[in-house]
Amino acid sequence: MSSSELLQFVVSGLQNGAVYALVALGFTLVYASTGIINFAQGEFFMLGGVLAVAGVRFGLPLPLAVVASVLVSAGIGVALERFALRPRRDSGGLVLIIITIGASMVLKSLARHIFGPNEMALPAFTPGPPVIIGGAAIDPQVLWIWGLTFVVVVALTLVYAKTKLGRAMRACSLSHDAARLMGVDTAGVVMLSFGLAAALGALGGAVVAPLTQTAFDVGARAGIKGFAAAILGGLGSPVAAVVGGLLLGVLESLSVGFLSSTYKDVISLVVLLAVLFLRPQGLFGRAGKEKV
Amino acid sequence: MSARYGLDRAIARVAPVLIVALVAAVPLLTDDRYLFKVLTFVGLNVIVVTGLALLFGYAGQISLGHAAFFGIGAYSVGYLTATRALPWLAAVAIGVALASVVGLLLSLPMLRLKGHYLAMATLAFSEILGVFFVEASAITGGNDGLRGIPFPSVGPFKIATPGASYLLVWGVAIIVVVLASNLVRTRPGRALRAVHGTELGAQACGIDTGRLRVQVFTLSAGLAGLAGALYAGVVGFVSPTTFSLEFSVLLVAMVVLGGTGSITGPVVACVALTLLPYIDALVPGLPRDAVAFLQDWEADISGIVMIGVLLFAPGGVAGMLRRSRRAGDAS
Repeated sequence: MSSSELLQFVVSGLQNGAVYALVALGFTLVYASTGIINFAQGEFFMLGGVLAVAGVRFGLPLPLAVVASVLVSAGIGVALERFALRPRRDSGGLVLIIITIGASMVLKSLARHIFGPNEMALPAFTPGPPVIIGGAAIDPQVLWIWGLTFVVVVALTLVYAKTKLGRAMRACSLSHDAARLMGVDTAGVVMLSFGLAAALGALGGAVVAPLTQTAFDVGARAGIKGFAAAILGGLGSPVAAVVGGLLLGVLESLSVGFLSSTYKDVISLVVLLAVLFLRPQGLFGRAGKEKV
Repeated sequence: MSARYGLDRAIARVAPVLIVALVAAVPLLTDDRYLFKVLTFVGLNVIVVTGLALLFGYAGQISLGHAAFFGIGAYSVGYLTATRALPWLAAVAIGVALASVVGLLLSLPMLRLKGHYLAMATLAFSEILGVFFVEASAITGGNDGLRGIPFPSVGPFKIATPGASYLLVWGVAIIVVVLASNLVRTRPGRALRAVHGTELGAQACGIDTGRLRVQVFTLSAGLAGLAGALYAGVVGFVSPTTFSLEFSVLLVAMVVLGGTGSITGPVVACVALTLLPYIDALVPGLPRDAVAFLQDWEADISGIVMIGVLLFAPGGVAGMLRRSRRAGDAS
């Protein structure tokens, strides 16, 4: 394999990896504030792409359609938390997991009813020829993916570190009760984290749709990849999620280069199982002990 | 009160006999091939759901991968009987053994995992197996699947009609349900419930929770494999689309709707949810549109039922049965 071929594989890995990172960020945010995994996270990725296409078909200009799809998805995320999860907040992880699984079934199936079973294409954000860097051709859409992911991560990190809201979110992830006693609106933080997670997933789905097309059934796969990325990073900080995503993307892409494209999807699943079995706290996490 | 208790026990004794009689009577009452087919599918799902009820409803372990074990059983029988011409019974035994062994091997590293981690690990496993079912085309026939799988047969005795298939599957299902109901009333059943409560607490009571978790996972994987093994011979065709994530999730939905800590509840829920899209088999006069609607919206209905049960009736069918019994006591 020549060096320019290798570079091309790395670029495509970083392209997918950035999208996994956005989905992984959603998992991380919800996990931080609630301690549960939102199994519907992948469906927000699907909604982002599908709603954006629907917006464009409806006649909205592309940027507006993307923004609208992200906002609507965030609204659905908030509604999921408020109406399906909050009433059973105290009943433990098992129940909440099953509710999010049920929600993902309903979202996927509703999307099929409303938008049809066919693949849909979203126009490129800025059409144009690929940019050649060091022998690798980079589609302008890939630059959008990287740019938006970068902006999101920087913004999230700043919010986490510098603002009162970020402090409230970090407090919630340490202890709900203590945070509430200190006057933090924990219910609000949980709802917000669901909204943000849905928005990030939707952004990932919308921004990659011009390259890969989208359909009602892309959610499950995106969810698994995003979860693998999040777990690789250790479900800790936003940066860890992004590193996990990029790492997973490059691993996947190199395995396509060196082995075969047949096993592309298997790689992330094997990584997921390997991390779960060997190092459940992720690459950057610390092991915890069960408290009585 | 004691009279009431005696009545309850009488009902508990008589109900299984009545159900067995009903199941056995169906072939005498009808020879509707479609109805037999639908009921056969119900029976197959009952076998898987009984295993999942032990795993999820008693031990509190989620699996999103049981469609894969079903697939292992089905492909084993399909490959061994159609391509290798092995006797059906031997192929079924191998299929069940293989599903159990894979379940055992998977459950060992999963001992460290709980809750959502466990759910994701089983999901990842079943997706990997899904790729395997498509790619290992020398054995599985790839995307086309395996065709022409011979009917189940034991020696000269061949089970070739829909009615016979129905009796075979339901015979096995009833045995499985009876054994599982007995199991949960004995020491291992109480231990499983203790694990569901708190694993640390169960350990403190001297229960080897790790061993128990491996055992119940292996058992449920084996039961899924058994259902798959029967499926292959009865349907005569196996393809990768049958063993999807959707199927795994639907199975979990049945257990959730049935309620935790019960075998009867999940079995009732399984019968209801499996029949739902084929309700025209039971109610012949139903308009085609209504049936098409139910089939089209099956996933939505299951998902909404799942959420609704957990929000408004967390005990599921089993909880409702218990409550109605208690209300009877009070009066």
